[in-house]
Amino acid sequence: MVNLNAVAPGGGREYYVALGLEGSANKLGVGVVKHPVVGKHEGGDFSYDCESQILSNVRDTYITPAGEGFLPRDTARHHKNWCVRLIKQALEEAGIQNAAKDLDVICFTKGPGMGAPLHSVVVAARTCSLLWGVPLVGVNHCVGHIEMGREITKAVDPVVLYVSGGNTQVIAYSEKRYRIFGETLDIAIGNCLDRFARTLRISNYPSPGYNIEQLALNCKKKDTLLELPYTVKGMDLSMSGILAYIDNLAKDLFRDNRKNRQLFDRDSDEAKISVEDLCFALQENLFAMLVEITERAMAHVNSNQVLIVGGVGCNLRLQEMMQQMCQDRANGQVHATDERFCIDNGVMIAHAGLLQYRMGDFVKDLSETVVTQKFRTDEVYVAWRE
Amino acid sequence: MSVPFASYSSPDLESHVFRVDPTCPRYQTTDGSTTGPSPHVLNAGQIDKDRPSEPRTDDNGQITTLGQLRCHLTGLQDEINDFLTERMEIAKGKKTKLEESREQRIETEIKGLLDGGDDNGNDDNS
Repeated sequence: MVNLNAVAPGGGREYYVALGLEGSANKLGVGVVKHPVVGKHEGGDFSYDCESQILSNVRDTYITPAGEGFLPRDTARHHKNWCVRLIKQALEEAGIQNAAKDLDVICFTKGPGMGAPLHSVVVAARTCSLLWGVPLVGVNHCVGHIEMGREITKAVDPVVLYVSGGNTQVIAYSEKRYRIFGETLDIAIGNCLDRFARTLRISNYPSPGYNIEQLALNCKKKDTLLELPYTVKGMDLSMSGILAYIDNLAKDLFRDNRKNRQLFDRDSDEAKISVEDLCFALQENLFAMLVEITERAMAHVNSNQVLIVGGVGCNLRLQEMMQQMCQDRANGQVHATDERFCIDNGVMIAHAGLLQYRMGDFVKDLSETVVTQKFRTDEVYVAWRE
Repeated sequence: MSVPFASYSSPDLESHVFRVDPTCPRYQTTDGSTTGPSPHVLNAGQIDKDRPSEPRTDDNGQITTLGQLRCHLTGLQDEINDFLTERMEIAKGKKTKLEESREQRIETEIKGLLDGGDDNGNDDNS
């Protein structure tokens, strides 16, 4: 039987407070979350309903010039130089006067992610822990997304589609683990979109994926979809070939290569395809692949709920396509969150870390705080669920 | 205040200790020489917004204890980075030399075979 109240809150309080630090990629997020002590949590699986209160959720993104990605060294430098300022801001917004007394736990992203930025953040977490005498919890980034999504949407046991710059996975819970049913065999969907945005040299602000979504909305030929490779392989998918294919199309378009008859009309030599059309086609193709494997996973586990998490989960077209698929299934429901919780943030780390802490799982020695670039979702023992 | 230090050891090097020299300019700044932005992103037009703040000073114009610690750590980081880069360069040089000698050996062997050296060897053994 799961007892989420196994560890009592500090200072005789009737609630737990956690500080969460996230920095596995180019977003540096700091959040503070509060869980009240609720009687029902002592005897059952209510981890999707912790009655969480988000006290603060601040974020700063390392943004590079158009056409450039973010390098580990520079991203780590960004996190190192902003981390303390963001922690101060988050604590102030949350009304935390005395962190040593008011915090139960400090949660940090243990992995997966880029090594150097993860390292910058864990150093800050360790320092705060030693300074305030508050225990640490290392959190799996993917599990952070899943638990935050469940808490916000109250989805009890959904099939999870986790789509971001570094990950593309279809996940379902079974016997204390989040099992991966399907995933990318090469690059993540967000990486595919970001790299195409680099080819187009469109701005990285607020995010390349958002700018592609806006360009796709302006597509004038939505009825005549440009044909792209469709690479679903069983429950997995592959996106690097699609990226190479559409990259070549974009380059031919910019070079005005009229020999390419897919792009230029045979008779008039006029361009048949615009940048907007390319963005639309890429999105439709990739999202159709995601919907297909998600539907198959739903059929496999006999579920009617989908929860979309991760940065790409903000994309309204993806949500719409998933909704269309779910409408065809009995009582099908799609759950998604907005950019505050979809995009990497500190609150999700605080929330998932607090679930771990409440089950008595926290760092006993600093040697356990080593961050790791590889940390698969199914490596985590999910003690807080039946 | 105790002064930070760092030590490095590896199978081919017993121990190398990095110590702070407060008189050296490297230990008087928070803006390290090896911890700036990558030239690649600067060339791409990046504006550096992540430069560390100057060490804080008290009413007497003296650098505060924490400010001093930041300066010392920046200097140590620079020392370590320079040291490791140098080791990488040496390792790279060694690797190139090894590769060169290996290639030379293979080339000699092939030449020998083409010139009938293999037959000679067999003749000697027979």
